[in-house]
Amino acid sequence: MNYLPLQIIVSLFVTFVVFRLTKKFKDNILKPSEFIGWLLIWIIVLVVFWLPQTTSYLALFFGIGRGVDLAVYVAVLIIFYLIFRLYLKIDKQQREITKIVRHLALDKKEKSIENKNGDD
Amino acid sequence: MKTFIIIPCYNESAHLAEVINNVKEYGEVIVVDDGSTDNSRQLAQNLGVTVLEHLINRGQGAALETGDSYALNKGADIVVHFDADGQHQAGEIPKLIKPITEGRADIVMGSRFLNQTGQTPFFKKWLILKPAALFQNLMYGAKLTDAHNGFRALSHKALEKIRITQDRMAHPSEIIEQIVNNELRYLEVPVTIRYYEFGQGLTGGFKILRDIIFGKINK
Repeated sequence: MNYLPLQIIVSLFVTFVVFRLTKKFKDNILKPSEFIGWLLIWIIVLVVFWLPQTTSYLALFFGIGRGVDLAVYVAVLIIFYLIFRLYLKIDKQQREITKIVRHLALDKKEKSIENKNGDD
Repeated sequence: MKTFIIIPCYNESAHLAEVINNVKEYGEVIVVDDGSTDNSRQLAQNLGVTVLEHLINRGQGAALETGDSYALNKGADIVVHFDADGQHQAGEIPKLIKPITEGRADIVMGSRFLNQTGQTPFFKKWLILKPAALFQNLMYGAKLTDAHNGFRALSHKALEKIRITQDRMAHPSEIIEQIVNNELRYLEVPVTIRYYEFGQGLTGGFKILRDIIFGKINK
C-alpha cells in the first residue's frame, strides 16, 4: 500500500486523459484505430501502477531483471517513436508550406503580368 | 535558345546588383527572393529583372524549384542556376550551356576540382566536399568530381524531369539522384568558385545528410 497516493494521482490523471480522448473520438478528431491505441496505452499505465507485479512477469519473459526497468525501456522506445513520427509530420508540413509559398509567388507574378498587359 | 538565369536570393543585397548586371547578357534573369528582410527584392526590381517573391524564407532548394517552375511555364530551353553571393563567375555561363546547345548533355554541372587552379580551402575540400562527392557517387551511382556546387545548366528535358523537393541545402544531392533515375546525360565542366566565407561547415554537412535521410522516409 506504499504507492497509494501516487496510484490515486495517476488514476485521476488517466481518467482525465481518457475523458479527453473519448471527447476527441466523439468529435471525429481521432480515428477509431488511434483512439483504441491511445486507450490501450493508458490502460496499460493504470495496470502497471495498480498491479506492478505484472511488469515483473513480463520482464522475466524478456530477460530483464526488474519490471520497473522494462517499463522504462518500453516508455523510452515509445517516446523515441513518437518523436520520430512528429519529426516526419513536421517535415511533411514544411513541404506543404513551401508549395503554398511557391504557388503564391507564381500566382502573384502571373497576375502582375496580366495587369501590365491589361494596362497596355 | 530561350535561356533563363535563376538566382535564388536571401538577404544578398551586398552582391546581388553586381551579379545581376554580370549575368543578364547571357539570358533572362529570374531572381527568386526567398523572403529577404533586406532590400534585395527592391534592388532586383529596380534593375528590371523578373522577381518572384517567397513571402517567407523556404530555403535555396525551394527558391530554385520556384524559378524552375516559372521558367518551364515560360517555355525555357535552358535554365542556369546561379548563386546570388558572387561565388560563381558569369563569364563561365557559356561554357556550361555549350554541351546542351550542342546536344551532348541534358544537364551540365560546374566542378571546382576539374582544373588545378581551384582555391577551395583545404579543410573544406578534403573534409566536406570530397567525402560528399564520394557519398553521392556511392549512393546514386554517379561519376562526379564535385558535390553541392550550385552552378549548373539544365536543358528543357532536364527541367521537365527534375523536381526539387529538398527545400534547404540537400537539393544538389537530390538533383544527382534524379539525373541518375531519369537517365539524363550529364557532364561536368571546370568552374572557378570565389570564396567569401567558409560556407557550409561540418554541421551543415550533417544537416544535409539528415535531410536526405528524412526526405527518403517521408516521400
